[in-house]
Amino acid sequence: MEIRDNLLYTENHEWVMVNNGVARVGITDHAQEELTDVVFVELPEEGKEFKKGDVMATLESVKSVADVYAPITGKVVKTNEKLNDEPGLINSSPYDDGWLVEMSIENEEELEKLLSPEEYGKLIE
Amino acid sequence: MHFMPMRTALYELHKELGASFTDFIGYEMPLRYTSIQEEHLNVRHKVGIFDVSHMGNVIIRGRDAEKLLSRITVERAEKIKRGMGQYTLLLNPDGSIIDDELFFNLGNDEYLIIPNSGMHEKVVKWMEENAEGNVEIEDVTNDYSILAVQGPHSEEVMKEIIDFDFSTLKFFGCEEVGNKFRMPFDGRCIVSRSGYTGEKGYEMYIHPAEEAIDVFREILTRGEKYGIMPIGLGARDTLRLEKGFMLAGNEFEGGRNPIEASLEWTIDWEHDFIGKEAVMEFKKREEYEKITYLVCRSNGIPRHGDEVILNGERIGVVSSGNFSPCLKKGIALAYVNTKYRDVGNMVTIRGRRDIEAEIIKGPFVKKGEC
Repeated sequence: MEIRDNLLYTENHEWVMVNNGVARVGITDHAQEELTDVVFVELPEEGKEFKKGDVMATLESVKSVADVYAPITGKVVKTNEKLNDEPGLINSSPYDDGWLVEMSIENEEELEKLLSPEEYGKLIE
Repeated sequence: MHFMPMRTALYELHKELGASFTDFIGYEMPLRYTSIQEEHLNVRHKVGIFDVSHMGNVIIRGRDAEKLLSRITVERAEKIKRGMGQYTLLLNPDGSIIDDELFFNLGNDEYLIIPNSGMHEKVVKWMEENAEGNVEIEDVTNDYSILAVQGPHSEEVMKEIIDFDFSTLKFFGCEEVGNKFRMPFDGRCIVSRSGYTGEKGYEMYIHPAEEAIDVFREILTRGEKYGIMPIGLGARDTLRLEKGFMLAGNEFEGGRNPIEASLEWTIDWEHDFIGKEAVMEFKKREEYEKITYLVCRSNGIPRHGDEVILNGERIGVVSSGNFSPCLKKGIALAYVNTKYRDVGNMVTIRGRRDIEAEIIKGPFVKKGEC
């Protein structure tokens, strides 16, 4: 199970990568394992605003359905359109090609409340 | 209180093979070893091996064993000769399905019956209540392992392990092969040409249960050149659903009868069996809910319990829904009102969200398609 050192995490198994004031969001390796093969991805429209904790996307796998929650408050600036044709990228590359959305960061303090890699590692132990 | 899950004799081997597990009716079973879709396609295109030892095993013996089977199943058991088997149903007096089973005529008045997982005790009790004359009923569920080898290359794989001309085994045929292994084997093994995938395949009923560990291992080794993979219950479910095969816990939930379940073809009306009058009476109805095949025309996967909607009205309910790895679409078996179940009709499947679906003539994936 891979947990990357350069990411922040939520208790709901999303990860956040901050780069040039933009937060890229995906689901963790652990989450994709639990979910099994993702076959449909419902992503938000660009420009849509979410509060931390809102349902932002839905992933559907052979085994189950999972909601993805906004890890922070912000506006969607970009979505990973590749996932519409290749939802399996979430399984094969959860931290790279399988990212879900990029969001603006409205409240820096929310980032501080996210879990560190160590904390997330303990959570899924 | 802490309930220990039941495990099959092959549990440690599954762990060694990297399986992730799931609870299935109290059994801790492999859900998958790699990916459900990959395993699914491997069975359709090559071959796979399954541990399905969570299924029940019951042996009945004696002069009146055949009579008992004819009484409690919709099949006239005398038609099933030695070395043959059949798919059949057990009904309640009100016509509702208790369970579906395979049974095999092993000769010398001995039959092997395979109830569904978690059903063997109920089935045995039902048999005991209805047994007359000379018949001995033995629940051997925990003494047997069941392995399934399924896929276009299944015959080649079986020949690697067992010295027997598998081309002579007809569909639902069975044979004792315990003394024909090409590897060390000490026990009983009945092999049948049967399965739950819609592909050519075989099932092996192995006693004692532990003997199946080495057999599974050896099949993986010698099957490597045919591209064999171990397959979990995840793919077992998508494989059966693409062919429209019933899953007892889903399709028979809530007391459905063979007419509703589109299983009238299993009934031999030329004999008396428990539930016959009730089913005959039900057949006169013009309107009822009947198993129907739905293919999704918009994204989403139907799930057990989702409603089927037409013009805002509920016309049925999904009994099994999943993603079809062959069609790359959501598919569902649903009980739909007979007034509305015409092929080509568009309906809405309402679960977490609405999915547009079309009623088709089953199965979802025909022989050789995928």
